[in-house]
Amino acid sequence: MKNGMVIDLDRCIGCQTCAVVCKMHNSLAPGVWWNRVFTQGTDEHQTAVGENDNLQMEFLPVSCQMCSDAACEKVCPTQASYYDQNGTVLVDYEKCIGCRYCMAACPYGVRQFNWRDPRETKAEAAHETAVALDAGLATNEAELGGVDRWSFARTQVVEAACLLGYPNPQFEGAAHHLVYTQNRPRGVVEKCTFCAQYTQNGELPACVRACPAKARSFGDLSDPTSEVSRMLASCSTVRLREDYGTEPKVYYLPPSNRKA
Amino acid sequence: MSRRTTSHVKGAQQVSSQGKILSKLGLRTLTPAKRALLALSLAMCAIGFIAWMYQLDHGLAVTGMRNSFTWGLYIAIFAFMVGAAAGGMIVSSSIYLFKLDVLKPFARIASLSAFACILGAGLMIILDLGSINHIVNILTSANFRSPLVWDICVITGYLIITALSVIFQMLPSWKRRGIFGSAVIQVWSEQKTVDFSATWSRRVALVGLPFAVLIHTVTALIFATQAAREWWHTAILPPDFIAMAVASGSALVLMVCMVASGKQRLEDHRLAFALMARMVAGALTVHFFFTAIELLMNIWTGSAETTELMHLLFVEYGPFYSSELVLPLIALMMFFNKRIVQKRAGLFIGSILVIVGAFVHRMMLLYPGFNMFPLSLNVPAAAQDAWTVPIAIGEIQPDGSVFTSFWHYLPTSVEYCVVLLPLGLTLFILLYANTAYNPKRDT
Ligand code: SF4
Ligand code: SF4
Repeated sequence: MKNGMVIDLDRCIGCQTCAVVCKMHNSLAPGVWWNRVFTQGTDEHQTAVGENDNLQMEFLPVSCQMCSDAACEKVCPTQASYYDQNGTVLVDYEKCIGCRYCMAACPYGVRQFNWRDPRETKAEAAHETAVALDAGLATNEAELGGVDRWSFARTQVVEAACLLGYPNPQFEGAAHHLVYTQNRPRGVVEKCTFCAQYTQNGELPACVRACPAKARSFGDLSDPTSEVSRMLASCSTVRLREDYGTEPKVYYLPPSNRKA
Repeated sequence: MSRRTTSHVKGAQQVSSQGKILSKLGLRTLTPAKRALLALSLAMCAIGFIAWMYQLDHGLAVTGMRNSFTWGLYIAIFAFMVGAAAGGMIVSSSIYLFKLDVLKPFARIASLSAFACILGAGLMIILDLGSINHIVNILTSANFRSPLVWDICVITGYLIITALSVIFQMLPSWKRRGIFGSAVIQVWSEQKTVDFSATWSRRVALVGLPFAVLIHTVTALIFATQAAREWWHTAILPPDFIAMAVASGSALVLMVCMVASGKQRLEDHRLAFALMARMVAGALTVHFFFTAIELLMNIWTGSAETTELMHLLFVEYGPFYSSELVLPLIALMMFFNKRIVQKRAGLFIGSILVIVGAFVHRMMLLYPGFNMFPLSLNVPAAAQDAWTVPIAIGEIQPDGSVFTSFWHYLPTSVEYCVVLLPLGLTLFILLYANTAYNPKRDT
């Protein structure tokens, strides 16, 4: 088995749904994105580039390209970054020493580091939200006669923030690599896993399921009858920066209406 | 026989009197200024250690590094110290290999400086790790395709070789002072110890020189193998690293030697110092040759990538990059000047310029390396040549932004404090090197 993904840029509407469900399902801390969607040619999302009669607005979702000759895996001193038996590049959070060599090596800027304990970041963000809500509720509270319901709720909000996302840790392979856990240890690298917690149980990655435009297809590239293989056979696809020799397993169907 | 007894008695007294220990360790010979430096080095270690504890407690978020700029001051200092270490051994080995007898009094200092620097470098890279608690995986699950693992191997080897080199060169003086493993060497006669020391020092030097070249080559390969990083991905990087290592390492040894031999003895070692200055100047010439070729190749290619690179070098980081070029250039001219290399001040200023230049060179390895994001795409409709896909920073900025196309890396005060630990340790050993120098016996 060789898992891969095909993203149809003609279908992509740049809605960011995949980026957000990825964040929710994988319990990403604020500021961390495994999957990002940009409008090609500009840092301002949903703005056209070009001029006059040559305007264009194409989108580009980028997550880990699941390279077959992955720069990250090659440089990782501890084999914390490795291929599972489906060719998916994973990070074992219990092995990573946090040298960040893989981040310097990966050409796609998809690797994210736990600069601090994700629990702290999440709790802080939740706390800020709670404080903001608090301010809004203060007037109400007076009307309600000083019932202190909200301070109880606030504690719960902060606690709940650390509990978002798929709850159970996911171990992979005979060596029991820890490839998913709700709150990653501080000081390790993380990135897209093709949703190891789902795909290893036969389900689709969250982004594929969530895309409202059905722009994403996921499946076995070594099985010629799979949807992804059929798409690769019938359409011309591109991969990002093939010149780096990383052999990605994420393919893009380029927008057909692009003007040269 | 009588010698053995005396030293045994000496050993007993050693425990009782601190002053005796100081003199045994050779610290008595230190001038008050050097003792102050020694205290400073210990203070540096203490501050560095506390800062590191703080970093372990709060995570690497206390540094200025983020997702798009993952290596900073620590790696720059690491590469710098590896360079200085390589240079030290190159000086000490060439004494034996090329029979540079004028440098002989400084063989020990050069070896010790190599040892001190490589120890500091090894420590530095450990302080850079995010999850030090997982470090055992480097041993149990090493990936031998990773240049970082090669580097760990050669650095460990180098640590052993420089340590051996120091030990062999120090044997005669240790025997005289009656410390360190005296039991083994006390049974030998003075002459036998000296002979043994000379033979084995030469043998270690034979292995030491290629190893010195190797550590810096492999450190350069960590960067040069990265196909996606325009600024690093060049075969000229390893030889250029070596050139810079010989320059900065010799400059460091030169400074340490001058400090060790004191003002009065400058006269005795004029030739030796001038020779070291010439080594620095020669290495710098080679470095500038490589730099010129590299720049020429990039400018001539004129692709979107190389144009961006040149913009980063000469506009974005213009002042910084110019200092990398100008400071060593001044040193080069000074060291080729016959009158300046005769003067203590001239040698000092030149060496400092080289060392600062070498450090800026290391920092400038990182700035254009990281701030040219590898994922840039050609979007024909967009105005610019190549559009860079922004990277998630890893935290929410005060202005609410999360993605960036450029990271203004500045080391934080915590980073500056943490680097004091390896630097302090190295300084401590270098000061100890003073005791390794004894003009009466060596000249
Ligand atoms: S995209 Fe980057 S992180 Fe993902 S497999 Fe390729 S090199 Fe590794
Ligand atoms: S940061 Fe972790 S995953 Fe990345 S190279 Fe280092 S040990 Fe491997």
